[in-house]
Amino acid sequence: MISKHPDPQALVEYSSGTLALATSIAVTTHLQLCRTCADATSSLNNLGGDMIDQAEATPVSEDLLQKVLSSIDEEPTKNADHNRTRSSVVDDVAHALPHYVRALLPQGSLQWQFLSPSLRVATLSVGEEENELALHRIKAGGKAPEHNHAGQEITVVLTGTFSDEEGIYQPGDFIVRQPGDVHRPMAAQNEECICLSVLAAPIKLTGINRLMNPFLRFSPS
Amino acid sequence: MIHSLRMGNDSKAMQKIPDWNTYLLKVGTSQDKAAFGALFEYFSPRLKTFLMQGSNLSAENAEELVQEAMTKVWRRAPSFAPTQASASTWIYTIARNTRIDWFRKNSRQDPLLFHAEDLYGDNEEASPYSTLAQLRSTVSIHEQLNELPQEQSEVLNIMYFKGLSGQQTAEALAIPLGTVKSRIRLALKKLRVGLAVTGGNSGQGTNND
Repeated sequence: MISKHPDPQALVEYSSGTLALATSIAVTTHLQLCRTCADATSSLNNLGGDMIDQAEATPVSEDLLQKVLSSIDEEPTKNADHNRTRSSVVDDVAHALPHYVRALLPQGSLQWQFLSPSLRVATLSVGEEENELALHRIKAGGKAPEHNHAGQEITVVLTGTFSDEEGIYQPGDFIVRQPGDVHRPMAAQNEECICLSVLAAPIKLTGINRLMNPFLRFSPS
Repeated sequence: MIHSLRMGNDSKAMQKIPDWNTYLLKVGTSQDKAAFGALFEYFSPRLKTFLMQGSNLSAENAEELVQEAMTKVWRRAPSFAPTQASASTWIYTIARNTRIDWFRKNSRQDPLLFHAEDLYGDNEEASPYSTLAQLRSTVSIHEQLNELPQEQSEVLNIMYFKGLSGQQTAEALAIPLGTVKSRIRLALKKLRVGLAVTGGNSGQGTNND
């Protein structure tokens, strides 16, 4: 049976702030639907708090407090940290996405690309070379083409359910496929399935391989 | 000009941590600048060390980030809830998010479409039924860490304090990634961090459950 949760290493990396951004987006999405992993993460943050308490003190400049206080006085109402990008959303799927994924769509819409009669993909740019973030959409009852991975692939179900040779996956389930795993996802009969995926990019594939491996695309257009 | 902070110079002697939660609440509820000053005096020099060690930042850059993080501490103080996290943990997450964004900003040309806070903000609150366990573990987390076998606490120290990923930790210690994974798993078990029951291995390398 396959795990449907991030492994402890991923949770520690998430909490310590070293997990790649695309993977962190997948973990965040899982945490919103998994109380156990969310509680584990908030416990892990205590380790960070303890590290701060145990840290040696390195003196800071004499005027640093004053700098902080004057920047507070200057802009008492402005909340620079919450200037979230508000995109005008025109796409139904985009509208239903978590806000941190929607923020990656400056145009407010997704560029869906046809991969097979049942499967469409929209790539999202997070500015990381080592990972590609994408949304996959499998039609109700549809089967994705059988595919293989050159790099690790993480899938988190957003809506609907899908199944493959190893199990049935619900919203929030976090599934890791290793290079070489071959599988053929199939959406449930009654509902379209939308997933977020993070594909590690160990090598850049050329034209013919792209056709053979529709999930492996590295040049978002 | 470097100012030597008497209070911060001897962290070893400070066995008992003052009730920073109360100070932070005062900042949040009544914009108490004296309380903020005390928090600043305690946390800023520690955040500076944390940022310099964990990110290989220069002292100047680390101070820039301390300034940014402490400004956020002031602004966000109204949302601080001691039932969810201790002041140290809460300030840690702000410093961590500030560091993540700083690296993102400095590694790309295009503007950030969202901030780490947007990503992390929604799910770091403990659920009501875990709050009690949470508070218990906050009180004793340091003792629990001290009780871990050295090889396990070492891995967590490196990952949090040096800011290395699991893979980088394996390289730094010259041990296989699978060993790092199993030390994390054992440490989390001892720290009583509740993990989802998993039916298999989801990661790379070898896990020894």
